[in-house]
Amino acid sequence: MRSLVISILLISFAVIGNVFALNAVSLEREKLRKEEGISLVMPSAVARIAALEFKGIFADIIFSRAMTYYGGKLIRKEEMTGEEWDWIYKNMALATDLDNYFLDPYYFGAMNLSWGANKVKEANALLEKAVKYRDWDWTIPFYLGFNHFYFLQDNEKASFYLMESAKREISGSLIATLAARLAYQGRRTENAVIFLEEILKKTDDNTIRNSYEMRLNTLKGIFFLEKAVAVYQDRFKKQTEGLDELVAKGIITAIPKDPYGGKFYIDKDGSIKTTSEMR
Amino acid sequence: MIAIWSVASITFKEGIKNRVIFGIFIIALLLFAATTVVTTLFMRDIVKVAVDLSLSTVSFSGLLTLLFVGVNLFGKDLDKRTIYMVISRPISRSEYLIGKFFGLVMLSLTVVVFLGILSALPVIISKNFYYYSEARFNWLIFFLAVVYIFVKLAVVSSVITLFASLTSNSFIALVLSLVTYIIGQSTESVRLLLASQVEKIEVSPVVSYMVDAAYYIFPNFSAFDLKTQAAHGLSISPSYILWTGLYAVFYITVAVAIGTLAFRRREFP
Repeated sequence: MRSLVISILLISFAVIGNVFALNAVSLEREKLRKEEGISLVMPSAVARIAALEFKGIFADIIFSRAMTYYGGKLIRKEEMTGEEWDWIYKNMALATDLDNYFLDPYYFGAMNLSWGANKVKEANALLEKAVKYRDWDWTIPFYLGFNHFYFLQDNEKASFYLMESAKREISGSLIATLAARLAYQGRRTENAVIFLEEILKKTDDNTIRNSYEMRLNTLKGIFFLEKAVAVYQDRFKKQTEGLDELVAKGIITAIPKDPYGGKFYIDKDGSIKTTSEMR
Repeated sequence: MIAIWSVASITFKEGIKNRVIFGIFIIALLLFAATTVVTTLFMRDIVKVAVDLSLSTVSFSGLLTLLFVGVNLFGKDLDKRTIYMVISRPISRSEYLIGKFFGLVMLSLTVVVFLGILSALPVIISKNFYYYSEARFNWLIFFLAVVYIFVKLAVVSSVITLFASLTSNSFIALVLSLVTYIIGQSTESVRLLLASQVEKIEVSPVVSYMVDAAYYIFPNFSAFDLKTQAAHGLSISPSYILWTGLYAVFYITVAVAIGTLAFRRREFP
């Protein structure tokens, strides 16, 4: 009887002591975590070997750990430092090395690195890797095109990626139109023409076909005039005064008609524009 | 043939009665349940995460079954001296060992079929919860990956058969099988790492010969790992299925044949 009482007393004492100690431990751990900050990221090659057949789960864990870290910062309303953004980037690169097709790290990394950290180069590096592996996903080249257009002001590259995106997209016409417009604005009218001709071959819907054809004909007209202007400059070694002069000098027989109902003209910067603005 | 079948069915029945199997099944069920909760923490590719977790659970459970139940099925006969009862009967030692191997294969088939069907549940749940339009998923490839988990476990069974016939102690057989599994999972990655040279590591030719040797000696388990393909619905060519299937058959034949050779010459204490 006595030994039973002693045992119960000992167990209850130990249980209470355990709870107290554990509380103290969690406080100590909290301090340790703060001092620790962000930890090192495992090199991809090592991680691929260490993960054995569980590479997918490893990628999930690495991604969610970085996401949780960022979320914690966001909740505590703390600013992310440049070092921490680098850590986020390295983690996303590692997660996508373990599973090359995993969308979430690409998406999370690209969005936050470009908008939050102003690290467009890193964001685009992730997206370029995603374009290579997720070769069916139209959203990836779309984001990449957007980054080139918005952050880097590179219309030529933007149109290239938007064209890639439009080729992948099964339905819809918005991206193709946008891509053609950007190529035209990036002084790549020929690219826009070739691209729209290619897209037309794959389009069955008559309404969308009509809108593409109208744009294609306008761009063909612009491309035709651009070439004529180049010939003029080559021959007379000076800028053209206006499009009528091309007809007067016999370089072209007539100015093509804008299917949108506008009139073509030469803008101050030397590019061919139309009063309809293709709308 | 009848002798092999009776040894196989006895081995299978003995294995399936083991309480450890129930423990493994309960862990698997808990992991499946956890999968549905964990997937909600992700952003878009949640079906991928569900496939990752549920297929890994099937593979892990099968591996635990073979390593903790399968290895002991060999050891028991030797430890408890019941092997004398068997070898005094009209059955050759080779038949006995091949029967044991097929018993293990049946055990892993049962685990994979049972858990493989259950593993579809978390995927269905997460698919209904949220399916991103640009995600790709295909049930055919998912179940092909489940079939490949079974193929991998069959190869592991042959490795266990080999080591159980070579060693006198089931613990050593367990350790050797586990080490073989780990090496077999990583040889391909190590080989790729050495071939790529991106990491700028000086590699002596001896090391790279050793890695090449290990690649041919140990089973290349990466070949049977189609979890990424299942998670992203990536297509698999018929030639891949043909060659990996043949590879598995050849490897199993070699391992079991060496095992029987060793077992025939073995003296029992």
